[in-house]
Formats: sequence, C-alpha cells, structure tokens
Amino acid sequence: MMNGKEYIESLRKYKPTVYFMGKKIESVADSPILAPHVNAAAMTYELAHDPKYEDVMTAKSHLTGEKINRFTHIHQSTEDLVKKVRMMRLLGRKTGSCFQRCVGLDALCALYITTYDIDQKYGTDYHERFKEYLIYVQKNDLMAAGAMTDVKGDRSLRPHQQADPDMYVRVVERREDGIVVRGAKAHITGAVNSHEIIALPTRAMGEKDKDYAVAFAVPVDAEGVVMFFGRQTNDMRRLDGDIDCGNAKYGTVGGEALIVFNDVFVPWERVFMCGEYDFASELVETFATYHRQNYGGCKVGVADVLIGASAAIAEYNGVEKASHIVDKLTEMVHLAETCWCCSLACSYEGFKTPSGAYMPNLLLANVTKLNITRFPYEWSRLAQDIVGGIVATTPSELDYKNPETRELIEKYLKGKADVPTEHRIRMIRLIENLSIGAELPESMHGAGSPAAQKIMIARRANLDLKKEEAKRVAGILPDEDYQRVRGEEKKE
Amino acid sequence: MKIGVKYCGGCNPEYRREEVEEVLRKHFKISYSEDVDILILINGCRKACLAEEVEHPNILVVGSPMSEEEIVRKVEDAMKELGKAKP
Ligand SMILES: Cc1cc2nc3c(=O)[nH]c(=O)nc-3n(C[C@H](O)[C@H](O)[C@H](O)COP(=O)(O)OP(=O)(O)OC[C@H]3O[C@@H](n4cnc5c(N)ncnc54)[C@H](O)[C@@H]3O)c2cc1C
Repeated sequence: MMNGKEYIESLRKYKPTVYFMGKKIESVADSPILAPHVNAAAMTYELAHDPKYEDVMTAKSHLTGEKINRFTHIHQSTEDLVKKVRMMRLLGRKTGSCFQRCVGLDALCALYITTYDIDQKYGTDYHERFKEYLIYVQKNDLMAAGAMTDVKGDRSLRPHQQADPDMYVRVVERREDGIVVRGAKAHITGAVNSHEIIALPTRAMGEKDKDYAVAFAVPVDAEGVVMFFGRQTNDMRRLDGDIDCGNAKYGTVGGEALIVFNDVFVPWERVFMCGEYDFASELVETFATYHRQNYGGCKVGVADVLIGASAAIAEYNGVEKASHIVDKLTEMVHLAETCWCCSLACSYEGFKTPSGAYMPNLLLANVTKLNITRFPYEWSRLAQDIVGGIVATTPSELDYKNPETRELIEKYLKGKADVPTEHRIRMIRLIENLSIGAELPESMHGAGSPAAQKIMIARRANLDLKKEEAKRVAGILPDEDYQRVRGEEKKE
Repeated sequence: MKIGVKYCGGCNPEYRREEVEEVLRKHFKISYSEDVDILILINGCRKACLAEEVEHPNILVVGSPMSEEEIVRKVEDAMKELGKAKP
C-alpha cells in the first residue's frame, strides 16, 4: 500500500494530457491549481497507514489474502459495506472536501458483480479478466476514476438516435487484439490525478445501442485520452494565498474533468463489457446503488466540518448562547445525522449477490442520496444564517496582508475581543467554501440527479403490499392474527 | 424425505412470503421444523437474515419472488442431490 507522499510521487510516472485555462498542465503533481485535490486524494492513502484509522481504511483482499487499501476492496460482508461508509465519513471530516476515490471503488464493485452475471448468461470470460485487472489495481494500490456520465447531447434521444453518434462513448472498431472507443465522459471526479480511468455505460440500452454497451479501463495517459479540468467558483484564489480559499489544503468537491476518448485503443484484457446491452441497466443500477450509499458518509463528514465552523463563528461573534443559534446548530446536526442513519441502514441491509460480493439495499441507498439532494442545502442555509452577511463581503486576503491596510481590517473585522481577527476571517472563508461553491450542485447531481433516485424509489416502493396492509387494518381484508387474539372464528 | 420451512421475522417484506409456502404445500409435505432433510428459508428480502443465522446442512434460500416452477425445480433438485449423497 502506498502512503500519501508515495501516491503524489506515483503521479509523476503518468503523463496525462490535461488542459486548464487555455494551457496544458505539465505536471499534475506540481500544479498549484490541482494541489488541493491531489492532497485530498492523498489522504485516502495516508490514513491507511495510521494505526488510528487502519481498521476502516484497510481490508483483506479476498483474491490474494493481502492487506489492501479499502478503496480497492470488493465487499465480502455487510460489515464491509458499513466500514466503507465509516471510511467515507472519516475522510469527509478529515478533508472537509471530496477525496475522489470512491467513484473508482464503486466502479470496481459494480463490474465485479455484473461481469459475473454476464458470464453466467453468455459463457464469456469477462469476470476472470476483471479479476486479473482487480488484482493489478489492488497490488499497485491504484486510484481509478469512475467515468460513467456521458455528455448525452439531446437528453430525449437514445444513444443511437443522436445527431452526433459520439454523444455516448461507443466502440468504433473491433480488432483481434482489442477495441477502439470514441466519445466523452463529463464531470469525472479526480480524473486528472488518478492512475486509471474505468468507463461504464450511463443508462439502460436497447439492441440498437449495442456499440454503446461498453465498459473498459485505460491508464489516464493512454493515447487519445484528453482531459479538460473544470473551472470552479473562486478557483483562482489558490494563486493569491491560502486564507481566501477557505480550505486551501483540500479544496472543494473533487476537481472534475471532461474526459475525451479520441479513438482510444483498449486491449481485450481491459474490456469488461462489449455489446451485452441487456446488462447495461444492471451495471448502471449496481454502480448507482454503491455510489448513492456513500453520500450519507462523505457529505456528513463534510457537514461535521461546517457545523464545527458554524459553532466556532457563533462563538467568535458572541452569539453562541442565543437560543435560536443553539437551535439552528442542533437542527444542522439532526439533518446530518439523519443522512448518516440512511448510509448505515442501506449498508446493514445489504445482501450477497451471486458473484459473492455484497451490495447495499437498493431502496435505502436511493433514499440516502435523495436526502442529500436536499439536506445539504438546508444545513448550508443555516450556516449562512449563523455566520452573517460577512460571508459574502469579506475583504480580500491581499488587503489583509497589505501593511498599508492591515490595521484597518484587523480593527473592523474583529469579533469578540479575545479572538484574533485572522481566526474570524479564516472561519468565515471556510463557511463560504463549504456552503456557497460547487459543494451544493455536487450534492444535487453527483451520483445522479434527484429524478433518477425517485425512479428507483418508485420502482421499489411496493405499493401493492402497502395497500394490502391498509385493507387489512381498515377491515376490508381478513386479519387472522387479530381474529386469533380476539378468539373470533376465521371468516371464509 | 422431510422438508422444513422457516420464515424470517418479516419486518418489511418485499413480497408476500406466504405465497412460497402455498406453492410448497401444493407440491410437497412440509412442516415448521428445522429437524428435517431440507430446510427452506423464506426471507422477505434479499438481505436474507435467516441465511446468516441458521445452520443446517441442506438449506434453500428464498429472498425474492419466485415462480411456482422455479420453487418446485429448486426443491426437486435439492432432493435429487440429497438422494444421491445418501447411501
Ligand atoms: C461535482 C460532480 C461530480 C461528479 N462526479 C462524477 C464522476 O466521478 N463520475 C461520473 O460518472 N459522473 C459524475 N458526475 C455526474 C453526475 O452523475 C451527473 O451530473 C448526473 O448524473 C446528472 O447528469 P448531467 O449533469 O448530465 O445532467 P442532465 O442529465 O443534463 O440533467 C439535468 C436535468 O435534466 C433532467 N433530465 C436529464 N435527462 C432527462 C430525460 N431523458 N428525461 C427527463 N429528464 C431528464 C435531469 O433529471 C435533471 O433534472 C458528477 C457530477 C458533479 C456535479
């Protein structure tokens, strides 16, 4: 297993093509714009070596028996599923940001299950191929980006109906030694600072979409892979210093990229689905379930930091004893812990699949994520209420550091007399970072927009059984247990 | 050959578990006992709590709705296997 430093060093061995602000980024490991995201991902490596955290951060490989980073582990029990979300909360709390590595983990787990099922039906050998790849990832402790979301063009059309056939990643050539793929994946978390990219289809497919039913893995610097690192609000503050960033060390959300596959060759040993369109929806659902499971872990870890920041700023401003502030902080805790309950519940209610891997309860994982499309907006609203209007108007770090103006800012941004002004400014900036930037749309759309979760919840709502229970309670259907209790004859 | 049925606690079943028992009664003689040759665990969902808890050498696990043919085939397969194993 690598530690944090070794992970950052390992990135130097890769030469991905990454563009940002009209220029090519020459070294991912050395770019100041990428640094916070690299640091956040490095924590997934570093904490695995810390005796204080290794119980959740590591696991035993079911394939090799070796100790591995949990981010490369296929869950072998419900306890593994629970440990995964505990790991998410720990890292969310440690970084106050997205540590990116869960998407690749979820892609690995989903492929483990679906390749097994495809082979059962078609007699293919995807599962064995995939296991070889998994061992490679585990042994080298690699970080994989999970690339599912296609750019999708006209959302009302299926892949094969698009005006431009490249709106979904597809196979453009089948060769003896592999396939050639073309298309693009959008919003891919941690892509530029990963070692590998694992691509999966993004939706259910029909027979005419056969060429789009493709799953594969390539190194980030495979020939033909071009990435565009996405802009974030306030990203350039990183170049001015650390205070105005709010979270200079770990940034905010995952540092997403648009990945273009410009006729990329993939050897067969790295192809895990090719044309089995009838398994696209299973793969998407399985991946989505694992990914939605996470959000009551990672986002709640980040909420721990925001709640702490809100409590601290209340103290710095001298309002910590006001009853409405206490109430608002309590409400934030309640919202966050409700989401945590959801992640734990869908994990404890997980089940064993035919492949042997465990996956979370589908209904509850979708409930988890649907809450995350709402509750972070509410806890952010409460944080903005507590911090005051200063969260939107604080003078810049450069004015604070300018000897000519520093004294004025020191004096007029002061809160309580015994709290240094700089501490107050830092806390305000942290709240700004956590409650205003990309964090909220990430909660909304990451792992799928709310409508996607609603569809899954509706599918598993089981209204027929609920109606049956209602009819029994209402006295429309017989209630045998009640009749026994009352000593009544069974009605025919 | 003795066939037993054991239900999970039924906290939040995803289908009518009783339907499995109805099919079994139609085709086989069954009892609510674990002291049997084949034990069928009727779970209300795929979590299949019983599968984790019950120890028995010949278990059949049901955790989601199954067709009548599927249930019968599974039990008959299990009986055949057991018949082969028994001298
Ligand atoms: C910060 C961040 C990180 C992310 N990380 C990853 C990642 O690592 N890997 C990955 O694969 N993806 C990632 N995603 C992508 C995420 O899964 C998508 O944003 C999400 O699935 C929504 O897709 P979209 O952004 O293309 O929005 P759209 O699909 O354009 O959705 C916009 C709206 O249109 C609706 N809509 C879309 N299609 C239809 C339709 N056919 N019928 C009716 N309504 C429709 C949606 O419900 C939504 O309300 C990330 C997203 C964000 C914001």
